[in-house]
Amino acid sequence: MTTEKKADKKPEYIKVEIAKPRAYRWSTGKYLGKLYKEAMEKKRLVTNRCPKCKQLLWPPSAVCGRCNVEAGEDWVEMNDKGTVIQYTYLVFPLWDPHYGDRLANPYPTATIKLDEGVFLVHFLEEKDPEKLKKVKRVQAVWKEEGRGRGLADILYFRTIDE
Amino acid sequence: MGNRVAIVGIGQTYHKSNRKDVNMQEMVGEAVRAALADAQMKAKDVEAVFTANMETFENIFLPDELMADEMAAFMKPGLKVGTGGTSGASVVEEGFHFVASGLFDTAMVIGFEKQDCGDTTAAITAAVTPVWGKGVATGAIGEFAKQALTYMEKTGAKEEHAAMVRLKADKGACRNPYAHLKLGLKTVKEVLDSGYLVWPLRLLDFCPQSCGACALILASEHKAKKLTKKPVWIADVVTVHQEPFRAGSFGDPTGTEEYTQDIAAERLYKRNGITNPIKDICMAEIYEPSNWEEMSHYEHLHFCPKNEGWKMVEKGITEMEGAFPVNPSGGVLATNPIGATPTIRVAEAALQVRGDAGEHQVTRDVHTALATALGGPNWTVMTLLKRSL
Amino acid sequence: MAELMADRVEKLKDADVFVYHGKIFIPNTYTAGAVGSRFLIELRDHKKIMGTRCPTCDKVYVPARSICKYCFAQLDQWEEVSDKGTLLTYTVAGQSNGVQPVAPPIIYGIIQLDGASTGLVHMLSEVDFEKLVIGMRVKAVFREKRVGSILDIKYFKPLA
Repeated sequence: MTTEKKADKKPEYIKVEIAKPRAYRWSTGKYLGKLYKEAMEKKRLVTNRCPKCKQLLWPPSAVCGRCNVEAGEDWVEMNDKGTVIQYTYLVFPLWDPHYGDRLANPYPTATIKLDEGVFLVHFLEEKDPEKLKKVKRVQAVWKEEGRGRGLADILYFRTIDE
Repeated sequence: MGNRVAIVGIGQTYHKSNRKDVNMQEMVGEAVRAALADAQMKAKDVEAVFTANMETFENIFLPDELMADEMAAFMKPGLKVGTGGTSGASVVEEGFHFVASGLFDTAMVIGFEKQDCGDTTAAITAAVTPVWGKGVATGAIGEFAKQALTYMEKTGAKEEHAAMVRLKADKGACRNPYAHLKLGLKTVKEVLDSGYLVWPLRLLDFCPQSCGACALILASEHKAKKLTKKPVWIADVVTVHQEPFRAGSFGDPTGTEEYTQDIAAERLYKRNGITNPIKDICMAEIYEPSNWEEMSHYEHLHFCPKNEGWKMVEKGITEMEGAFPVNPSGGVLATNPIGATPTIRVAEAALQVRGDAGEHQVTRDVHTALATALGGPNWTVMTLLKRSL
Repeated sequence: MAELMADRVEKLKDADVFVYHGKIFIPNTYTAGAVGSRFLIELRDHKKIMGTRCPTCDKVYVPARSICKYCFAQLDQWEEVSDKGTLLTYTVAGQSNGVQPVAPPIIYGIIQLDGASTGLVHMLSEVDFEKLVIGMRVKAVFREKRVGSILDIKYFKPLA
């Protein structure tokens, strides 16, 4: 068992801070690339379907991990409407490394089930905690400019009456 | 099933928020020395050394290289093990495999994390692929928040039940010299009065960020019997991975996904003739990042029927003096140096089997103990320990 | 911060593939620890270079460290080593990257200070690269303003 040593006077401890953004490059590859292209050009979501189990793969990918087969190019256009399964919102600011800041995006985040059955984690436009409890049907609100970043081309999901 | 392997040495640091007095290697060295002292072994007696942590938390690449000397690995073989949040348990499994193979007589396994170096939530958020998750990820805690809300809605559990879990954890932590957060909580109200972090998770619902290390020394049967009168046998280890939940990394608010815990528990219990887990196993140290998760884990680990985890809490079954104690050490809620956390679960379960847990030794006699580990995305490692095989 | 973290998307010309150029920013803080801190504080306050000795292995570690790699002993014997030493090897870095202490070209050397068993990596200056020779005697040059960093030693220069 280790024992703690007590110093008789307060010692000085040196700390070294390294605070530099680190650059990276990330390629979408072919399958995510198609999602990005459709989102950027047509403001719509697409994904591919496994030829064996017929499930929609989401995000679009090269393989179906459950069947261990190549996924292929059976592309399906998806509605950008869905149902909120669960949501949460930040109270205490968290550090977001993609923004290099705290509470970078103030909207609540939610797990949304798109009408085609796939799940998505994204933002909700509704910020009022009381109103949030009643949000069920939502639809994507797309950025008008500066698209080309996949799901970040959607600003948030807006509550709709349905 | 391989040769028999026992834990013959257990060491951990006194876990804290900040360790300005040491660098990362020195902190690991403390746990290593403690384990060697506990085993009454010298550094040169350990044949291979394995280590685990989350590299992006400290942003130090190849930490095993940095600390080769302090972890008594100078000129020795070994591996750095990475399986996300379960790394600290997978490292135990790795050492176990090396010794069980018969090719090694001894191994030391170490889990560690020095979380005063960085920002854990930020690091987990960064793990989400760029743009796909840019800005939407609220780290692990956002997922656990949604999980908590779903648990409440689905099972009828109340915030008071979650608060009772926190009280249990704090009671254990206050009796555990190594635990990080010892808050001296007395009432449910104190827990409910702590502010929200990510709604509906409160500050006291969630684990801390800790600095700490935990080392275990494993030995083959003939070596173990020479070294100690109280070897703790590793009866079995089961690991189950799957791809991330389709609806998020950690939690499944959809209720449609298969939890690796259910699968791992089924396999472990079947392989070891366990038909009534809370009778056949004497206690458990489980990996509960939040008090809500603990209640959910009771169900997925088959300690109780689905949707009734909160009832175990209400009845006090999982208290230190209860029929099936869970996390008498204070658990992850009190102490969470993430790379070390699963290793600490195994260490604490082993201390219970040895009868060496001091003030946080459970009332029930422990001949069989369970340690679990949880990782994003939905990975589980379960380790079964026994006093005799 | 927004400009610093600005991202950019590049679409490949001949394929529906996008390359995302982004940044991640997580500030990190590293603790030197009690032993490391004392080493750095001695540089800062006294312009002294300190090492720790392992009496069993007869080794003196510079920079000071808390453990002997060979015998695993914990070290608590401190001693000052000279600010002069021998150049064991050297190189020059011509390319710039984001983390250099000064602008390139930078001459790096490994210097074994008199009294130390280990080499110390640092920079060399006040010398032409072509004139460097393994085995040269060099001496530390300290900065006027020191903060408790290895860079409180500005560089090493040849002993006349």
